[in-house]
Amino acid sequence: MSGDDSSYDAAEASHRALRGIQRELERHPTISTVRGFPSGEYTQVGAEVAIDRLDTDVTEGTLTVRWFAGGTSDDRPTFSFHYSGENGDFGWHHEPNPHVDAWGHFQERVNPAASYDYEPYTFSSVNPTRVVWEVMSVLVSRLQSE
Amino acid sequence: MDDEAPGVEAWKKQTSAFDRVRSVAGTVSGPQPVSYIATEAHVAENTARSHLERLVEMNVLMKRDIGGAAMYEPDPLHTRVQTLRDLLDEYDHDGLLQLKAELQEQVETWAREYGVESPEALRRRAAESADAAETREIRETANDWALLLYRLDIVEQAIENYTAYSRDSPAPAG
Repeated sequence: MSGDDSSYDAAEASHRALRGIQRELERHPTISTVRGFPSGEYTQVGAEVAIDRLDTDVTEGTLTVRWFAGGTSDDRPTFSFHYSGENGDFGWHHEPNPHVDAWGHFQERVNPAASYDYEPYTFSSVNPTRVVWEVMSVLVSRLQSE
Repeated sequence: MDDEAPGVEAWKKQTSAFDRVRSVAGTVSGPQPVSYIATEAHVAENTARSHLERLVEMNVLMKRDIGGAAMYEPDPLHTRVQTLRDLLDEYDHDGLLQLKAELQEQVETWAREYGVESPEALRRRAAESADAAETREIRETANDWALLLYRLDIVEQAIENYTAYSRDSPAPAG
């Protein structure tokens, strides 16, 4: 545990996490482009999935990442890695949601008019770097099973 | 450490131990001991300690003694300088002025829309909302607002010091 919060700044910690997430996504072999999003604001990270490098019939997809560190350095972060493409709208989230007991959950809807379905998901770590590689692993598995 | 966790094998294949230690230690929210960094980065503690010391020498991390234990945390100045450099590489002086205006306009829009003056006040509003979807939307906006203020502060620093910091710096007119 980290303890001393005298110099803690949640926005600075969150910005640093987003920069780290962008760097890890740039390293991932199935991501083609990554950028701060929206342009100029950099409150999220957007990534294009390199579908052509996967064994799948899916043709395009985008991953949008939000991350906000807790109010203190010991608080849990809230984050979401949400995929949207021609055949999917789903993501792995870590935040309070009345539809599911756990902070960690997977949510999906079959079409834009439908409601999301939710199921608990346990992240093996909540370090931003680790979450990138974990989500990319389960995302690639999911896309290749389509 | 759990090498079977999703993504770990690919992460280790694509990165060096130093990369992983730097990535993990550079994104923690507060001071952490070597054992935490080593576990999260999937390296031995001695390896983590060696890389952490190097990162302290590079001014990427800061080392503190807390309760007799060595703890490592990101140097906030390092992140700030990186962001400053990215802004100066991406925008010229006029572009920075325009970006500042756009960020200020967004902040003013949120303040007007929600009738509050700060992301903290908006976060309190989120806690009072009875509607789950609205709570989430307000909370996300409060987070975006806080991030935007952090970025706006660095944009203003870039503008104030443009001539000194810019790589190819014709002095801005006016």
